[in-house]
Formats: sequence, C-alpha cells, structure tokens
Amino acid sequence: MKPLMIAIAAASLVFGSAMAQDHSHHQNHKNHTALGAAQVSQEDSIYHLEGEWQTHKGDTIQLAELQGQPVLVSMIYGSCTTACPVLVNDARRVYQALPEAYRKHVKLLMVSFDQDRDTPAALAEYANKYGLGENVWLFLHGQDDNIRALATLLGVRYRKRADGDFDHSNLVTVLDTKGRIVQRTEGLNRPVDEAVAALMKVVDDNHLMHH
Amino acid sequence: MTKWLSVFGFIALAASAEPVLVTGGEYTPAILLDESVQTLVMADFKLDATPVTYAQYLEFVKANPKWQRANAAAIFHDGNYLISWPGNTEIPEGYAKRAVTEVSWFAARAYCNAQGGRLPTLDEWEYASSQYLQQQQMSDQDYAQMLFGRHSNPTAYSQQPLDVNSKELAHMHNRVNEWVEDFQLMLTSGDNNDILSSSCGDSARFMADFGDASYATFFRYQSRSNYRAQSTTSTLGFRCAYDME
Repeated sequence: MKPLMIAIAAASLVFGSAMAQDHSHHQNHKNHTALGAAQVSQEDSIYHLEGEWQTHKGDTIQLAELQGQPVLVSMIYGSCTTACPVLVNDARRVYQALPEAYRKHVKLLMVSFDQDRDTPAALAEYANKYGLGENVWLFLHGQDDNIRALATLLGVRYRKRADGDFDHSNLVTVLDTKGRIVQRTEGLNRPVDEAVAALMKVVDDNHLMHH
Repeated sequence: MTKWLSVFGFIALAASAEPVLVTGGEYTPAILLDESVQTLVMADFKLDATPVTYAQYLEFVKANPKWQRANAAAIFHDGNYLISWPGNTEIPEGYAKRAVTEVSWFAARAYCNAQGGRLPTLDEWEYASSQYLQQQQMSDQDYAQMLFGRHSNPTAYSQQPLDVNSKELAHMHNRVNEWVEDFQLMLTSGDNNDILSSSCGDSARFMADFGDASYATFFRYQSRSNYRAQSTTSTLGFRCAYDME
C-alpha cells in the first residue's frame, strides 16, 4: 500500500496546485480558452511532414513545396470570430512592417484547423477579405491527421469543442527557407519587430534579394 | 464508484490477430475536459487487443526504411528513437513479444497508418479502458493498486511479454503507457492557460469523483501531459485504432 499512498499524495499535490491557479482568465470562459503553446524542435525542417493540402485557389500541394522562401505561418479556422481574425491581421501587420523590397520574398501561410467547414472555397473568400494581392496569402485546407501533425510540429495546441469551434494556441511562427522554426510570437496583437527581423534575416542570409 | 458501472456496451470477441470491436455508447470520463460536457457518446471503433510488439514494429521498419533508426528525420523524435536496437532491422534479443517502446508519437502514428489504422483518441482509449475494467470485473481498489504498483516500477512492467494471441482487450494497464492521438490536450507543462487551471476552481468539473480509481486515472492523464510528440521513453508504447468500415 505504500506506493499507493505516495502516489495519491503526489496526485493531491498536483491537483492542489492546479486549483491554486489564479482566475484572471475567467473571462475566456464565454468564448474560447487560449491554450498555451507547446515547446518545439528548432533543429530540423517541418517540411519532413508528408501529406497533401488544398490551397484556397484549389491547388494540391505538399508543405515541402514552400522551401526556398521565408514563411510566416499561423493556424486558424474560418468561422472563428474571436482570436483568428486577430491572428490573420497580426500576420498582415508583420508583412506591412517589412521594408518594401523584402515583402515579395515572404509568404503568409494560414492553415485551418477545420477539416469540415473550411473548404478551399470558404478559405478563398476569407483570403479575399484580407487583401494584400494575389500571391501573398496561402490558406490551406487539410485532413485532420495532417492538421494534427503540423500543429504538433509548430507547438500549436488545439481541441475541437462540442459546438464545432476550436480552442487553440495563438501563435505566429517564422520558418526559414528550409522549413525550420526560427522565431515564434505567442499571443494576440503583439509587437511585430521580432518577426520582421527574423524574416529579414532569412531573406538576407539566403541572398534572396539578389536572385 | 458508480461512474464505471454506468458504462454500457461490451467487447466482442474477434478472430485471431484481428482488432477488437469496441461497441459505442454513453460514457462519463473520469477527467472532464469540457465543463459543459459531462457525458460523451462514443461511436463503435476497433482497437488492437494488445500494444504493438517489437516483432510487429520490426516488420514495419523493414517495409518502411525511412522509419528505421538511422533514417528517421530528427524532427520526429528526441534522439533516443529505438535506441536499444542493435541495428536498423534488428531488435534486442528476447524482446519480440514485449511492447515496443522508444517510439515517438510521430512514429506510432506512421505505424498505425501503415496498418490502415490510426492512434486512438484520448476519449477512445479511456472508453475502452472503462469497458475493459468492467469486463474484468476489477474493483476500483484493485485497479488503483495495479496502476500505482506499475508507477512505482514502470520499467519492470514494460519488460514483461504480452499475451500476443489475446482475442479481447489485454494489457491496458499493466505493461506500458500508450500514445493517444490528442495527448497534448491536458495540463501541459505548467502553463497558465491549460484546461485544468481554467476550470476556475470548481474541481468537480475535472474529476468526476474522488475515489481511488479516479486518482489512478488522473495519474495517467498527468503522465500524458509530460510527453512531447518527440518523446521516446522506455515505458511508452501504443496500440492502433481503426474506424468501422
């Protein structure tokens, strides 16, 4: 019985500390809970992930096709009216804060959590709302197992709720030309300086402007 | 504890080496992830009777060289993937019938995909566990003792052979911890925004009751929350689930 008692004591401790958390995020209850981002590996490319995705233009691609350019990636869902529009706008803010000459080298990638509702057509409509021209945004629709794997590599935690909406981490991530994570911004409406600097560094380090 | 008893459904016998049918039904999880949802309605699905063995995993890596130890992409594991194997297509002597461990979440998913399956969701695994306990007619006390016994010496338990010919669910609790598809949902690594801490102090929202069995189950959830998708420990394996045709 000794291990049992120790384990129960340990469980009680964990349990107690969970209950002792402050409740400053109480207001989140009405809508969505922001899940904290998980740790990630920054040593290797997320483009090792296989699997096909549909773009908002109706094309089928693999993530590895994004190699060769810096990518700013976030995960959202189209019917989200709270955090997601802010995340999309955060990506746009980063883009607009880049010096003009850098912009055309950067891709803004928005991947949907929602296999069922975010069809390529629904995402096309969403992309149009946010402007910036033809070739800046790339919205992706995928299958649940690919979505889960990509989210895991990016450290984005999410769960589908009973009402069909999603709780998720709010994360904007910079990938280098090989698909390695070089910078992450967690939260909404955060300063863009670090992401801008990271994107510029990828462009500079790879001499993209001279090509 | 009456929660377990409120689970209906049964586990049908299947042909040898076939996964086991887990009949759907209503289910009240011991740990509640959503304060507004107390009871889940589970669909039918199939689940491997036992965790995947070394022998089975060896066949997989022979057929899928990119999942051999030397070839697996670094982003899919923590550096200890299959670390105790003597070679890329060679398992340690005497391990054939043990539950394979030192496999990351990515590796486990790739294995299951190759079998036409997938990892079970957390709810599916826990639902199957609740049916298993009922089928075994195991008391809450015995269940709790078994789990805490294993937690006190997980390596010794993980090295025991599996009953590989089992035609019903086996070794749900007495060999290894097992990967589930959505393991990251729980009280992850001390951040302030996870599910439990946002339950605003109403503990009843996340533990359905406070008996021995619920504490034991809570411990399993707690273990899961310590994993990363790249984790490859010597006490963590998996079994696959399959959708109904």
